[in-house]
Amino acid sequence: MRQSGSAIELKQLPRLSLMARKMIRVLLVEDEKIHRVVARAAAKAAGVNDDYVLDEAENGAAAVQRVREAAAPYDLILMDKQMPVLDGHEATRRIRAMGVTTPVVAVSSDVLPADVEAFISAGADDFTPKPLSKEKLGNILAKFGLA
Amino acid sequence: MAAALTNQLHALVNNMFATGLLDEQFQQLQMLQDSSAPDFVSEVVTLFCDDGERIIGELARQLDQPNVDFDRVDSFAHQLKGSSASVGAQQVKNTCIQFREFCQQRSRDGCLKTLDLVRTEFYDLRNKFQVMLQLEKQIQACYPKH
Repeated sequence: MRQSGSAIELKQLPRLSLMARKMIRVLLVEDEKIHRVVARAAAKAAGVNDDYVLDEAENGAAAVQRVREAAAPYDLILMDKQMPVLDGHEATRRIRAMGVTTPVVAVSSDVLPADVEAFISAGADDFTPKPLSKEKLGNILAKFGLA
Repeated sequence: MAAALTNQLHALVNNMFATGLLDEQFQQLQMLQDSSAPDFVSEVVTLFCDDGERIIGELARQLDQPNVDFDRVDSFAHQLKGSSASVGAQQVKNTCIQFREFCQQRSRDGCLKTLDLVRTEFYDLRNKFQVMLQLEKQIQACYPKH
Protein backbone atom coordinates (compact mmCIF):
# COMPACT_ATOMS: atom_id res chain seq x y z
CA MET A 1 0.00 0.00 0.00
CA ARG A 2 2.73 2.34 1.03
CA GLN A 3 4.72 1.59 -2.12
CA SER A 4 1.67 2.12 -4.27
CA GLY A 5 0.92 5.43 -2.54
CA SER A 6 4.49 6.61 -3.08
CA ALA A 7 4.28 5.71 -6.74
CA ILE A 8 1.12 7.75 -7.14
CA GLU A 9 2.68 10.67 -5.33
CA LEU A 10 5.78 10.49 -7.53
CA LYS A 11 3.69 10.32 -10.68
CA GLN A 12 1.73 13.36 -9.61
CA LEU A 13 4.77 15.42 -8.70
CA PRO A 14 5.67 16.73 -12.18
CA ARG A 15 2.06 17.66 -12.87
CA LEU A 16 1.67 19.40 -9.54
CA SER A 17 4.92 21.32 -9.96
CA LEU A 18 3.85 22.39 -13.46
CA MET A 19 0.50 23.58 -12.11
CA ALA A 20 2.23 25.45 -9.29
CA ARG A 21 4.68 27.08 -11.69
CA LYS A 22 3.65 30.60 -12.55
CA MET A 23 3.58 32.00 -16.06
CA ILE A 24 6.90 33.63 -16.97
CA ARG A 25 6.51 37.06 -18.53
CA VAL A 26 9.21 38.38 -20.88
CA LEU A 27 9.28 41.82 -22.50
CA LEU A 28 11.28 42.18 -25.72
CA VAL A 29 12.14 45.82 -26.47
CA GLU A 30 13.31 46.16 -30.08
CA ASP A 31 12.48 48.57 -32.89
CA GLU A 32 13.70 46.54 -35.88
CA LYS A 33 11.27 43.94 -37.16
CA ILE A 34 14.02 41.59 -38.36
CA HIS A 35 15.45 41.37 -34.82
CA ARG A 36 11.99 40.79 -33.33
CA VAL A 37 11.28 37.98 -35.81
CA VAL A 38 14.62 36.28 -35.06
CA ALA A 39 14.24 36.80 -31.29
CA ARG A 40 10.71 35.32 -31.36
CA ALA A 41 11.95 32.21 -33.19
CA ALA A 42 14.92 31.88 -30.82
CA ALA A 43 12.56 32.22 -27.85
CA LYS A 44 10.31 29.49 -29.22
CA ALA A 45 13.29 27.21 -29.79
CA ALA A 46 14.56 27.92 -26.25
CA GLY A 47 11.24 26.71 -24.88
CA VAL A 48 9.52 30.06 -24.44
CA ASN A 49 6.04 28.95 -25.43
CA ASP A 50 3.32 27.44 -23.26
CA ASP A 51 4.66 28.57 -19.88
CA TYR A 52 5.82 31.96 -21.09
CA VAL A 53 4.28 35.18 -22.31
CA LEU A 54 6.46 37.15 -24.74
CA ASP A 55 5.37 40.79 -25.07
CA GLU A 56 7.01 43.23 -27.44
CA ALA A 57 7.65 46.99 -27.38
CA GLU A 58 8.98 48.88 -30.40
CA ASN A 59 10.85 51.60 -28.51
CA GLY A 60 12.02 52.56 -25.04
CA ALA A 61 9.03 54.77 -24.27
CA ALA A 62 6.59 51.99 -25.17
CA ALA A 63 8.61 49.65 -22.94
CA VAL A 64 8.42 52.02 -19.95
CA GLN A 65 4.65 52.35 -20.48
CA ARG A 66 4.21 48.56 -20.74
CA VAL A 67 6.18 48.02 -17.53
CA ARG A 68 4.21 50.74 -15.73
CA GLU A 69 0.82 49.42 -16.85
CA ALA A 70 1.53 45.68 -16.68
CA ALA A 71 -1.12 43.74 -14.75
CA ALA A 72 1.63 41.48 -13.40
CA PRO A 73 5.33 42.36 -13.21
CA TYR A 74 7.66 41.11 -15.96
CA ASP A 75 10.19 38.43 -15.05
CA LEU A 76 12.71 39.48 -17.70
CA ILE A 77 13.25 42.47 -19.99
CA LEU A 78 15.40 42.15 -23.12
CA MET A 79 16.45 45.69 -24.08
CA ASP A 80 17.87 46.97 -27.38
CA LYS A 81 20.09 50.06 -27.30
CA GLN A 82 19.44 52.21 -30.34
CA MET A 83 15.74 52.91 -30.79
CA PRO A 84 13.59 55.88 -31.84
CA VAL A 85 11.68 57.98 -29.28
CA LEU A 86 13.66 56.68 -26.28
CA ASP A 87 16.85 54.61 -26.37
CA GLY A 88 17.61 51.51 -24.30
CA HIS A 89 19.85 53.28 -21.79
CA GLU A 90 17.24 55.89 -20.89
CA ALA A 91 14.41 53.36 -20.88
CA THR A 92 16.39 51.19 -18.44
CA ARG A 93 17.08 54.20 -16.20
CA ARG A 94 13.37 55.12 -16.14
CA ILE A 95 12.33 51.54 -15.39
CA ARG A 96 14.78 51.42 -12.47
CA ALA A 97 13.59 54.84 -11.28
CA MET A 98 10.10 53.32 -10.98
CA GLY A 99 11.54 50.88 -8.45
CA VAL A 100 11.24 47.91 -10.81
CA THR A 101 13.80 45.19 -10.00
CA THR A 102 13.04 42.89 -12.97
CA PRO A 103 16.29 41.64 -14.57
CA VAL A 104 17.11 43.76 -17.62
CA VAL A 105 19.39 42.15 -20.20
CA ALA A 106 20.83 44.51 -22.79
CA VAL A 107 20.90 43.12 -26.32
CA SER A 108 23.08 45.11 -28.71
CA SER A 109 25.50 44.76 -31.60
CA ASP A 110 27.71 47.42 -29.99
CA VAL A 111 29.91 45.20 -27.89
CA LEU A 112 32.89 47.36 -26.87
CA PRO A 113 33.58 47.37 -23.10
CA ALA A 114 32.40 51.01 -22.97
CA ASP A 115 29.07 50.03 -24.59
CA VAL A 116 28.54 47.23 -22.08
CA GLU A 117 29.53 49.48 -19.17
CA ALA A 118 27.11 52.21 -20.29
CA PHE A 119 24.21 49.74 -20.21
CA ILE A 120 25.23 48.33 -16.82
CA SER A 121 25.55 51.88 -15.44
CA ALA A 122 22.02 52.59 -16.70
CA GLY A 123 20.75 49.70 -14.58
CA ALA A 124 20.98 46.61 -16.79
CA ASP A 125 21.91 43.34 -15.07
CA ASP A 126 23.58 41.67 -18.01
CA PHE A 127 24.56 42.11 -21.64
CA THR A 128 24.42 39.80 -24.64
CA PRO A 129 25.50 40.58 -28.21
CA LYS A 130 23.00 40.58 -31.07
CA PRO A 131 21.62 38.58 -32.68
CA LEU A 132 19.75 36.60 -30.05
CA SER A 133 20.01 32.84 -30.47
CA LYS A 134 18.38 29.85 -28.83
CA GLU A 135 21.57 29.22 -26.82
CA LYS A 136 21.99 32.82 -25.67
CA LEU A 137 18.37 33.06 -24.59
CA GLY A 138 18.53 29.68 -22.86
CA ASN A 139 21.57 30.85 -20.90
CA ILE A 140 19.82 34.09 -19.91
CA LEU A 141 16.70 32.24 -18.71
CA ALA A 142 18.86 29.83 -16.72
CA LYS A 143 20.98 32.62 -15.22
CA PHE A 144 17.92 34.37 -13.83
CA GLY A 145 16.20 31.18 -12.67
CA LEU A 146 13.52 31.27 -15.36
CA ALA A 147 14.35 28.05 -17.25
CA MET B 1 14.09 17.26 -61.21
CA ALA B 2 13.82 17.93 -57.46
CA ALA B 3 17.20 16.30 -56.82
CA ALA B 4 18.90 18.46 -59.44
CA LEU B 5 17.34 21.62 -57.99
CA THR B 6 18.32 20.57 -54.46
CA ASN B 7 21.92 20.02 -55.60
CA GLN B 8 21.88 23.43 -57.24
CA LEU B 9 20.56 25.01 -54.02
CA HIS B 10 23.18 23.30 -51.86
CA ALA B 11 25.96 24.35 -54.24
CA LEU B 12 24.75 27.96 -54.15
CA VAL B 13 24.51 28.13 -50.35
CA ASN B 14 27.85 26.34 -49.89
CA ASN B 15 29.45 28.83 -52.24
CA MET B 16 27.96 31.73 -50.24
CA PHE B 17 29.61 30.33 -47.11
CA ALA B 18 32.91 29.53 -48.87
CA THR B 19 33.23 33.04 -50.29
CA GLY B 20 32.52 34.66 -46.92
CA LEU B 21 29.15 36.16 -47.87
CA LEU B 22 27.47 34.25 -45.05
CA ASP B 23 28.51 33.12 -41.58
CA GLU B 24 27.21 30.65 -38.98
CA GLN B 25 24.25 32.90 -38.08
CA PHE B 26 22.61 31.83 -41.34
CA GLN B 27 22.95 28.20 -40.22
CA GLN B 28 21.32 29.20 -36.92
CA LEU B 29 18.37 30.58 -38.88
CA GLN B 30 18.10 27.37 -40.90
CA MET B 31 17.99 25.40 -37.63
CA LEU B 32 15.21 27.64 -36.27
CA GLN B 33 13.00 26.82 -39.26
CA ASP B 34 10.57 23.98 -38.60
CA SER B 35 7.16 22.72 -39.66
CA SER B 36 5.41 25.35 -37.52
CA ALA B 37 7.35 28.12 -39.31
CA PRO B 38 8.23 26.69 -42.74
CA ASP B 39 8.91 30.14 -44.27
CA PHE B 40 11.02 31.50 -41.41
CA VAL B 41 14.32 31.80 -43.35
CA SER B 42 12.53 33.31 -46.32
CA GLU B 43 10.84 35.88 -44.02
CA VAL B 44 14.16 36.94 -42.44
CA VAL B 45 15.94 37.09 -45.82
CA THR B 46 13.11 39.22 -47.27
CA LEU B 47 13.23 41.59 -44.28
CA PHE B 48 17.01 41.93 -44.72
CA CYS B 49 16.66 42.64 -48.46
CA ASP B 50 13.95 45.28 -47.85
CA ASP B 51 15.86 46.88 -44.95
CA GLY B 52 19.11 46.92 -46.93
CA GLU B 53 17.64 48.62 -49.97
CA ARG B 54 15.94 51.26 -47.82
CA ILE B 55 19.01 51.93 -45.65
CA ILE B 56 21.44 52.16 -48.58
CA GLY B 57 19.08 54.71 -50.17
CA GLU B 58 19.06 56.70 -46.91
CA LEU B 59 22.86 56.55 -46.63
CA ALA B 60 23.24 57.90 -50.19
CA ARG B 61 20.75 60.70 -49.46
CA GLN B 62 22.48 61.67 -46.21
CA LEU B 63 25.95 61.72 -47.80
CA ASP B 64 24.63 63.88 -50.64
CA GLN B 65 23.72 66.69 -48.22
CA PRO B 66 25.98 69.79 -48.21
CA ASN B 67 26.46 69.40 -44.45
CA VAL B 68 26.62 65.72 -43.62
CA ASP B 69 25.11 64.71 -40.28
CA PHE B 70 27.57 61.93 -39.46
CA ASP B 71 25.64 60.84 -36.37
CA ARG B 72 22.61 60.20 -38.55
CA VAL B 73 24.75 58.38 -41.16
CA ASP B 74 26.23 56.29 -38.34
CA SER B 75 22.73 55.44 -37.11
CA PHE B 76 21.78 54.06 -40.55
CA ALA B 77 25.08 52.15 -40.83
CA HIS B 78 24.35 50.70 -37.38
CA GLN B 79 20.90 49.55 -38.57
CA LEU B 80 22.38 47.86 -41.64
CA LYS B 81 25.04 46.20 -39.50
CA GLY B 82 22.38 44.82 -37.15
CA SER B 83 20.18 43.62 -39.98
CA SER B 84 23.19 41.94 -41.66
CA ALA B 85 24.21 40.28 -38.40
CA SER B 86 20.69 38.88 -37.96
CA VAL B 87 20.68 37.17 -41.35
CA GLY B 88 24.35 36.12 -41.21
CA ALA B 89 25.46 38.46 -44.00
CA GLN B 90 29.07 38.50 -42.82
CA GLN B 91 30.63 40.47 -45.66
CA VAL B 92 28.03 43.27 -45.53
CA LYS B 93 28.26 43.37 -41.73
CA ASN B 94 32.06 43.75 -41.82
CA THR B 95 31.84 46.57 -44.35
CA CYS B 96 29.28 48.30 -42.10
CA ILE B 97 31.86 48.17 -39.29
CA GLN B 98 34.36 49.98 -41.57
CA PHE B 99 31.61 52.41 -42.56
CA ARG B 100 31.00 53.33 -38.93
CA GLU B 101 34.72 53.94 -38.42
CA PHE B 102 34.64 56.52 -41.23
CA CYS B 103 31.59 58.09 -39.54
CA GLN B 104 33.59 58.40 -36.32
CA GLN B 105 36.38 60.08 -38.32
CA ARG B 106 33.82 62.39 -39.98
CA SER B 107 35.28 61.32 -43.35
CA ARG B 108 32.86 61.96 -46.19
CA ASP B 109 35.24 60.44 -48.77
CA GLY B 110 35.70 57.34 -46.64
CA CYS B 111 31.95 57.00 -46.17
CA LEU B 112 31.27 57.45 -49.91
CA LYS B 113 33.86 54.81 -50.87
CA THR B 114 32.48 52.41 -48.28
CA LEU B 115 28.94 53.10 -49.44
CA ASP B 116 29.94 52.01 -52.97
CA LEU B 117 31.48 48.85 -51.54
CA VAL B 118 28.55 47.98 -49.28
CA ARG B 119 26.09 48.66 -52.11
CA THR B 120 27.94 46.25 -54.43
CA GLU B 121 28.17 43.60 -51.71
CA PHE B 122 24.53 44.01 -50.70
CA TYR B 123 23.12 43.72 -54.24
CA ASP B 124 25.38 40.77 -55.02
CA LEU B 125 24.09 39.03 -51.88
CA ARG B 126 20.50 40.03 -52.57
CA ASN B 127 20.70 38.52 -56.07
CA LYS B 128 22.02 35.27 -54.64
CA PHE B 129 19.32 35.24 -51.95
CA GLN B 130 16.68 35.74 -54.65
CA VAL B 131 18.04 32.79 -56.62
CA MET B 132 18.08 30.75 -53.40
CA LEU B 133 14.43 31.58 -52.58
CA GLN B 134 13.40 30.85 -56.17
CA LEU B 135 15.10 27.44 -56.05
CA GLU B 136 13.38 26.67 -52.72
CA LYS B 137 10.00 27.51 -54.27
CA GLN B 138 10.71 25.28 -57.28
CA ILE B 139 11.76 22.42 -54.99
CA GLN B 140 8.58 22.81 -52.89
CA ALA B 141 6.50 22.77 -56.08
CA CYS B 142 7.97 19.35 -56.92
CA TYR B 143 6.29 17.94 -53.80
CA PRO B 144 2.56 18.61 -54.02
CA LYS B 145 0.82 19.12 -50.65
CA HIS B 146 -1.59 16.41 -49.54
